[in-house]
Amino acid sequence: MRPETRDTPSLEITVLVSVGRHPLTGRGRRADQDARGVELARGLPEAEVQLLHAGTLNEGSETALRGYLGMGFDALALLEQPEGADILPALAETLDEASPQLVITGECAERGEGSGLLPYLLAERLGWPMVSGVVAVEGVEEGIATLLQALPRGQRRRLEVRLPAIVSVDGAAPAPRQSAYGPARRGQLAFVPGAVSLDDDWAGWQVQPARKRPKRLKIVKAASARDRFKAAAAKAEGGGGQVLEGVTPEQGAAAIFKLLKDEGVLR
Amino acid sequence: MLEILLPILIFSALAVAVIGAVRRIRLWRQGRPSKVAILRGLVAMPRRYLVDLHHVVARDKAMSNTHVATAGGFVAAAVLMILVHGFGLGSSEGLGGIQGWLLLAASACMFVGSLFVARRRRNPPARLSRGPWMRLPKSLMAFSLSVFLITLPTVGVLPEGFLQGTGSWILALVLAAVLVWGLGEMVFGMTWGGPMKHAFAGALHLAFHRRAERFGGGRSTGLKALDLEDPEARLGVETPSDFTWNQLLGFDACVQCGRCEAVCPAFAAGQPLNPKKLIQDMVVGLAGGSDAAYAGSPHPSQGLGGKPVGEHRGTPHGPIVAREGKALVDADTLWSCTTCRACVEECPMMIEHVDAIVDMRRFLTLEHGNTPGKGAEVLDNLIATDNPGGFDPGSRLHWAADLDLPLMADVKQTEVLLWLGDGAFDMRNQRTLRALVKVLRAAEVEFAVLGNEERDSGDVARRLGDEATFQSLAKRNIATLAQYRFQRIVTCDPHSFHVLGNEYGELGGPGTPARYEVRHHSTFIAELYDAGRLAFAPWKGGSVTYHDPCYLGRYNGEFDAPRNVLKALGIEVKEMERSGFRSRCCGGGGGAPITDIPGERRIPDMRMNDVEETGAELVAVGCPQCTAMLEGVVDATAEVRDIAELVADALVERPTAPKSTGVQQPAVEEVTP
Repeated sequence: MRPETRDTPSLEITVLVSVGRHPLTGRGRRADQDARGVELARGLPEAEVQLLHAGTLNEGSETALRGYLGMGFDALALLEQPEGADILPALAETLDEASPQLVITGECAERGEGSGLLPYLLAERLGWPMVSGVVAVEGVEEGIATLLQALPRGQRRRLEVRLPAIVSVDGAAPAPRQSAYGPARRGQLAFVPGAVSLDDDWAGWQVQPARKRPKRLKIVKAASARDRFKAAAAKAEGGGGQVLEGVTPEQGAAAIFKLLKDEGVLR
Repeated sequence: MLEILLPILIFSALAVAVIGAVRRIRLWRQGRPSKVAILRGLVAMPRRYLVDLHHVVARDKAMSNTHVATAGGFVAAAVLMILVHGFGLGSSEGLGGIQGWLLLAASACMFVGSLFVARRRRNPPARLSRGPWMRLPKSLMAFSLSVFLITLPTVGVLPEGFLQGTGSWILALVLAAVLVWGLGEMVFGMTWGGPMKHAFAGALHLAFHRRAERFGGGRSTGLKALDLEDPEARLGVETPSDFTWNQLLGFDACVQCGRCEAVCPAFAAGQPLNPKKLIQDMVVGLAGGSDAAYAGSPHPSQGLGGKPVGEHRGTPHGPIVAREGKALVDADTLWSCTTCRACVEECPMMIEHVDAIVDMRRFLTLEHGNTPGKGAEVLDNLIATDNPGGFDPGSRLHWAADLDLPLMADVKQTEVLLWLGDGAFDMRNQRTLRALVKVLRAAEVEFAVLGNEERDSGDVARRLGDEATFQSLAKRNIATLAQYRFQRIVTCDPHSFHVLGNEYGELGGPGTPARYEVRHHSTFIAELYDAGRLAFAPWKGGSVTYHDPCYLGRYNGEFDAPRNVLKALGIEVKEMERSGFRSRCCGGGGGAPITDIPGERRIPDMRMNDVEETGAELVAVGCPQCTAMLEGVVDATAEVRDIAELVADALVERPTAPKSTGVQQPAVEEVTP
């Protein structure tokens, strides 16, 4: 049998990386989930990985961005955006132009708005499919990627998605490799031009430190050690959920409205 | 006939040796440049050899006498042989033939020495290398005996005509052949890589040693800073030629005596490190080739007894550690080291193993990003939270919430700055710290702490090879310390002690000199006791032994103060067999518990066995790492307590103590502006 001589086109991946924030000290660092995304991309054979960051370059963010370079990259593309700009249009435009086959992001940024909506909004704009909570890319064949998605309690679901696509990585994805100081210091931060659209709403916002959300108490009525263990190991889940099928939008909205009333969210 | 043959033999051997020397020197010069006082080193070399080196060799009396006889005899015999037989200055007419008689004496002395070498080689201990080293006593005998016999007619003991006639022709030829063998080993082999290479490379190594301060009784243990200014420079050592040339020379000086192997805790624990083999690996690397010719104990390997020899190879410009597969050395070998410095202390050639290991680790961490085990996590924590555990830096003083410790930020100046170290986050070490505070208060010492302004000293980061994080921590600590005035730093952590005292100095700036007077708490308590500021109740406990922390003892030479404190407590220390400068490591240094390279045994278990052998019920320690490692031993027969705790427990009211404090303190110049 002859080995396959056909040149398999390498998989072009862009990982969107953000400036992270250490939960205890607030120091800039590579964001944990984004770093996992980079690790995911690095682990793929035949992948051509690009790093892309949209934001400002200053002393604080440079150390964090160089943290990604330290994972073994020569360059990181920097889409310069001023503080408070809406990075969505610029990112969408850049990605549309570069047209990578796979875009990897974290689920939620560690600073700034941190709404976790960016991958969804990007997918909407580009018209690409979006898969959340990915822990592995198992293979890419003929424009279709096989993904492993993380579900609660360690369950996994295998999905196939047509490329190009956007995936966000789960916290259960493989831990990122160590960032080495030498490559981090030598790597280039390459500026790419991009349009700036200012976010007028953002300017009017007032930002304050978040309060810890109250946790719902779990009342455990366990008779045996096994039950107690199960209760301790279980993730909190609402037991009263219901699946609505074949209902009109009005009925659905009414059901959601009723739930929010019952939960005391709306008064 | 011999009168014609001998000069030819001698001078051709010398000529070939010179060619070999040039080739060998070119091998060393592949290394990076290093600033060394060449002439001063050469001048100091005989003294370094005769005094400093011999001081180490003399720890084994029989071997040192053997070496004196053999080496002394050889040097004298070689010089005289060149004069007598090479230049023909031995005839009875000139100088009354005294050179000939001296040559006879020298070669006889060398022969006696070589008999002892031969006895040593009959049943050699495992730490000695075999291979070409086994033929060395025979070669020594061949040289000394043939020189002796050839000189006999010269001084006229045998008639001049003795070596004439057919029978004596054959005798002369046999003698000449034996001499060729001797010359081959002793002169040709010296520069062409035979066992005698150690004499040639060793002498130059002593002259151009990278730590000249070590000679003449000095101490030089701080790691040397890596220049991080040049962004294009490769960080650390990737290939053998990335070492400085005098480091390469040092590796080449190794005599393979295996004293390092005998004291190495990692080797004893079956972790894949044999310091002797590591140095030989470097020699293989600098000359290029495979390690198949190595004839000593290999690097241990879990469950296998030893890693097979001959599978690793390298070149001067090839990688030492491969990213994948095998190169010259496996990464595990480098990460097994606890940086306890036992090998360096024991090496008669004064080779710097630890420097080399850290140099290679620097490359693995800073360029490859391949710190094993929990290394990457610890380094990330150090970068983000300034402590290896990733604790909230604002909680550094939580253990002392009820102690009302004075903060430097409030008092601005004090007599003693109490450096807490990262043990402040460890519940076991917090007991030690509380005890130490109690002692300081009892002695009415004026002290303060940095509190949340303190950061990790950078010891672990540096020894894991992360020089960048070390320097970042060190520079910020230096800047913090520069804000305050104090006379001395006292700490219960020998690692902080060593780093603050010996390694920060290099990093101070023009406005912020980083020369501090640092004391270990045992030293300081001993001083307080001597000054009459502490009084103790008599000791009522059982028998006690003392474990010397590497970073206090071998690194800083403090062996007496802890013992003096124990003596003051009324404790008679039952010494372990390996104590003082030969103390065995607890396994906690150099980031070894973090990288956690598997072995057959655990180093702290072996150390607690040492404790058990003394029959002591309690082992006194003076280091948070040692405490943690030794307390982690299951089924230990002895309790582990810090000296500060023992002192705090024994405190009693001073009988009519002088009320004024600090009077007996020696006048000390302030170290901060």
